[in-house]
Amino acid sequence: MRAANWTATWTLTTLSALALAGGLAWGGQGAAAEPRPRRAVPERLPWREEGLTERQAAAHLLNRFAFGPRPGEVDQVVAMGLDRWVERQLAADLPDPNLDARLRDLPALAMSQADMVRIYRNPNQILQQAVKEGVIDKRELAAAKADQGLKRLYAGGNAGGNGRGGNGNGGGGAAGGAAAGAASADAADIERPELRAKVLEFARARGYRPERELQGQLLAQKVFRAAESQDQLREVMTDFWFNHFNISATNGRARPYLLSFERDAIRPNALGTVRGLLEATARHPAMLYYLDNAESTAAPDAPTLLGDEMRSMRRPAGRFGYGPPPPARPAAAPKGPGLNENYARERMELHTLGVDGGYTQRDVIEVARAFTGWTVLPSGPAREAVEKRLEKVRRFGGLGFQVDGDFLFRADMHDSAAKTVLGRSLPPGRGIEDGEQVLDLLASQPPTARHLSTQLAVRFVSDNPPRALVDRLAATYDRSRGDVRAMLRTLVQSPEFWSRGAVGAKVKSPFELAVSAVRSSGAHVEDPRPLLGWIARMGEPLYAYQAPTGYPDRADAWVNTGSLLNRMNFGLQFASQRIPGIDIDLPSLHDGPEPESRQAALSTFAALLLPGRDLSATLRLLTPMVSDPAVARRVDDAAPKESPQAVQARADDEAEMAGGGGGGAGAAGRAGGKAAGEAGGGSGNPAAVPDAAPARRQPRGEVVRVARPQHPPTAIEQVVGVILGSPEFQRR
Amino acid sequence: MLTRRVFLKAGGMALVTIGAGPAFLNRAALAAAAPGPHMRRKVLVTIFQRGAMDGMMAVTPLDDATLRQLRPRLAMSAARAAGDNALADLGVGFGLHPGFAPLLPFWQERRLAIVHAVGSPDPTRSHFDAQDYMETGTPGRKGTPSGWLNRAVGLLGHDRTPFRAVAMTPSLPRSLYGDEPAVAVTNLADFRVRLPGADQVAAAAGEGFEALYERTSQGLLRSTGTETFEAIDMLSVTDVAHYQPANGAAYPKSPLGDALRQIALLIKSDVGLEVAFAESGGWDTHVQQGTVNGTFFRRAQDLAQSIQAFWTDLGPRQDDVMLTTMTEFGRTARENGSGGTDHGHGSCLFVLGNRIDGGKVHGHLPGIHPDSLYEGRDLPVTTDFRAVFCELAGKHLGIRDDGALFPEWSGRRLPILRA
Repeated sequence: MRAANWTATWTLTTLSALALAGGLAWGGQGAAAEPRPRRAVPERLPWREEGLTERQAAAHLLNRFAFGPRPGEVDQVVAMGLDRWVERQLAADLPDPNLDARLRDLPALAMSQADMVRIYRNPNQILQQAVKEGVIDKRELAAAKADQGLKRLYAGGNAGGNGRGGNGNGGGGAAGGAAAGAASADAADIERPELRAKVLEFARARGYRPERELQGQLLAQKVFRAAESQDQLREVMTDFWFNHFNISATNGRARPYLLSFERDAIRPNALGTVRGLLEATARHPAMLYYLDNAESTAAPDAPTLLGDEMRSMRRPAGRFGYGPPPPARPAAAPKGPGLNENYARERMELHTLGVDGGYTQRDVIEVARAFTGWTVLPSGPAREAVEKRLEKVRRFGGLGFQVDGDFLFRADMHDSAAKTVLGRSLPPGRGIEDGEQVLDLLASQPPTARHLSTQLAVRFVSDNPPRALVDRLAATYDRSRGDVRAMLRTLVQSPEFWSRGAVGAKVKSPFELAVSAVRSSGAHVEDPRPLLGWIARMGEPLYAYQAPTGYPDRADAWVNTGSLLNRMNFGLQFASQRIPGIDIDLPSLHDGPEPESRQAALSTFAALLLPGRDLSATLRLLTPMVSDPAVARRVDDAAPKESPQAVQARADDEAEMAGGGGGGAGAAGRAGGKAAGEAGGGSGNPAAVPDAAPARRQPRGEVVRVARPQHPPTAIEQVVGVILGSPEFQRR
Repeated sequence: MLTRRVFLKAGGMALVTIGAGPAFLNRAALAAAAPGPHMRRKVLVTIFQRGAMDGMMAVTPLDDATLRQLRPRLAMSAARAAGDNALADLGVGFGLHPGFAPLLPFWQERRLAIVHAVGSPDPTRSHFDAQDYMETGTPGRKGTPSGWLNRAVGLLGHDRTPFRAVAMTPSLPRSLYGDEPAVAVTNLADFRVRLPGADQVAAAAGEGFEALYERTSQGLLRSTGTETFEAIDMLSVTDVAHYQPANGAAYPKSPLGDALRQIALLIKSDVGLEVAFAESGGWDTHVQQGTVNGTFFRRAQDLAQSIQAFWTDLGPRQDDVMLTTMTEFGRTARENGSGGTDHGHGSCLFVLGNRIDGGKVHGHLPGIHPDSLYEGRDLPVTTDFRAVFCELAGKHLGIRDDGALFPEWSGRRLPILRA
């Protein structure tokens, strides 16, 4: 914990004392470390009782506690023993050298949050700095701001400035994509190459990188981890909790903090405690900005910890010793000081109690009051000013202010009057303790246990989980004080998890579908962006669900006419290697002799891709398809494949022809290789390349379609494509 | 070969009773049960102008001395002396920016109305928050799971087709989040089983998928699969790729032009479209907004030409269609140091339809002086955007329950449709 030494560092001990003082059900537990496995030999998993074979059970487990089985993995889990596999996943400490090596290529992952915000910048931030340092003249600022080349380079093609933000994603970027495209109609607007060069040189010298690269790395690591991590369950739970505490990259203020939100607040707690998650998310700048708590202040007439003699220190939100002085006419303030209820409401409705959790509008207001003053230590030039101010505060003995990383508790914004939350009194005269006690209280409420148990059961069992299972999970929640591992253990030891009705009952989210296709086919993701484009197209632009609710975890939210068609097309194009950035070697999946007929190929690959499933109906229905003349014309799927070099050379030729000057960008993309955030990498999928280099954009903002080498699909590819697009493969 | 018919949600009942008989029998039964795919519906077309349009430049109060003072570079005049740069005098104390000139005939025919000083009561000047609030229809509340257009679709109270709610955007807009199925697509030609460079293989795969989805045990995948292949058939009949706009309509080659062209196609194809969503970007004119040669002019021209082409293309189908624009907030009355305007509050919107009480500026725009400006700087919001959306949803789509459409709002509709 990086609390300044002059503040009362928040510790588990003080929290416990507070909790006891409040007379809480969970007094003393605080954010205690999660218990380790209780017994060396866990209770047996009741799959046999539900009539599953061991292979079926292993496949089911890999579909729920992992992002689907990899080739041969079902047999490995069987050999290891299902129980042991589960315990290893719960422990989540497997060595992972291959993944670690890949992630090292993404520099932001190892940066402090402060460095991320300092280095990765949008064009306006860079220009601001350039003016401040006298690199460009203030009079040139307007022209520089309007320079389309600079905008495209730094904002990920989202030159529209439309507030939806370039997410560097097929989806979030796509959300702004139309706008960006529209704005690029104005691309001729201002092009000031000399000025741009000056700014770019400045950015280079300072080590600034485009903000979209940060988003690119966030997206890339999610794909790499889900596809390759040995600790699959931790990634599944990271996905689950991120969605539970959802924050959208479409929010420009939260966006720069998203990577650290997942890395620092979610993943370390994904198998920890609910209280720990509540704490980490409550203090994170991404959440404080996204749900406006950063601006929520005590009403002007409310008391704060600062006595009357300190009144002069009180300023409206956002004016803590930086920015212009408070305006003469209060009416002209952009946002008057006061309470913002958004965070308090969603903390109860979404994060803890649930919509029917028995709280009232009065509770929303009281919780909002308890969290006043929980705000962000700003980044950029404002930070220095605030830190100076905090120096002063320290001379007064701290005054209840606290700093922890980029989290700032401002006693001058905190309403210190007495409060009543869910029928419990919070005494007057306190600071950050109010919010801590509310988190304790919310974590220990029975509706919270029920709400989170239901969500877990929905994620892991079915859209309408049996009541008995939810009851059992809720009992575990109470007993273990919200320990995630304990709940997952209860889940996997429940007969409902293994029931025939539960196997294959969940429809995969687009992300789960794409990742499970990668895993099941043993594919290697070289460049994740085209894949991300497909995930967005199928309805799940990652990190870009605008509402704090997160994506609904229900089949009918994923399956509609348009998305289903995209799923089928994804399967076909994935298998026939028409999604760039993905390397697949289908024939090598199968180490036996070459399938001797199309029918044989069909049954062989169906069994490889969907282990543990009864595929007789699927095979029967597909047999006429493989006999189709369109397929039959190319029976010989064992034809030697072109070498990658030859393929790439041809792609370059075609790109040259298709894109004119675009060939250079293609080469740059290949040289970049690392994919994330770098320009280039052709795509047949327009949704995939929102952050493509400017040279590849046509006047209409359409991405130039760089032709991929399109060898006719082999029979195996066709068969695999249909299997990946089949209803069976949509389920997990 | 039987012509396949739209699988209606209500028609699902018939499917259940028929059971899993041969597919062609099911289709025949459906064909008999449903009135046919070709259904004429009332359609609401919405265009979100992202970035916040400067309503005071779009529809300018004429001869306003304060405005000229606040906007030395941006204020425009309707005077003849201004020549090509002149605002079009709407005859009601307002001038229309020349970028919107393609819409003038509709104004003269009284099919176009303007609502001024419209917007959200929430004071936020964040694009993200304000768009979110306008799309959910719940200003100030971020957790609303659904968008107002999705709720509108849910309140229509009759059978649906796969194309009932369509967003011509790469991903689903917040307006269409919710329980009702909605399609997000940017190119209808992609609406089929595709494998670039291998059409025949794609066709064969399509047959394979169709067979698999018809028989899967998972109910939702089965019914949606059926719908999907029905939808593909509906579109291929109309030959998306070779669509020729009618009446000489010329759409601009822009994302919005493309979107509206395809919405017109869907309307004329009678595939059951009722709510359509499109976007127009680039309205965040902080820098070099310009009068007749800046960003604003080009955005306005693209919007107006797209709408004009769309309306022309619709021809006799205009009676079924109502089109409205919206934008998250307006811009400051005073121009800034970069020849642009900053985030403000109230703006204006355009509503087009044959039943519109047109040729009028609805709503109330107080004069522009410091005391009447919101927080001393912006056009105020005197008409809640929900008053307009309720009127359109109510009178055009027949949705009666304003409270369900806009929870927590009890305001009155703004009467801009003729009875």
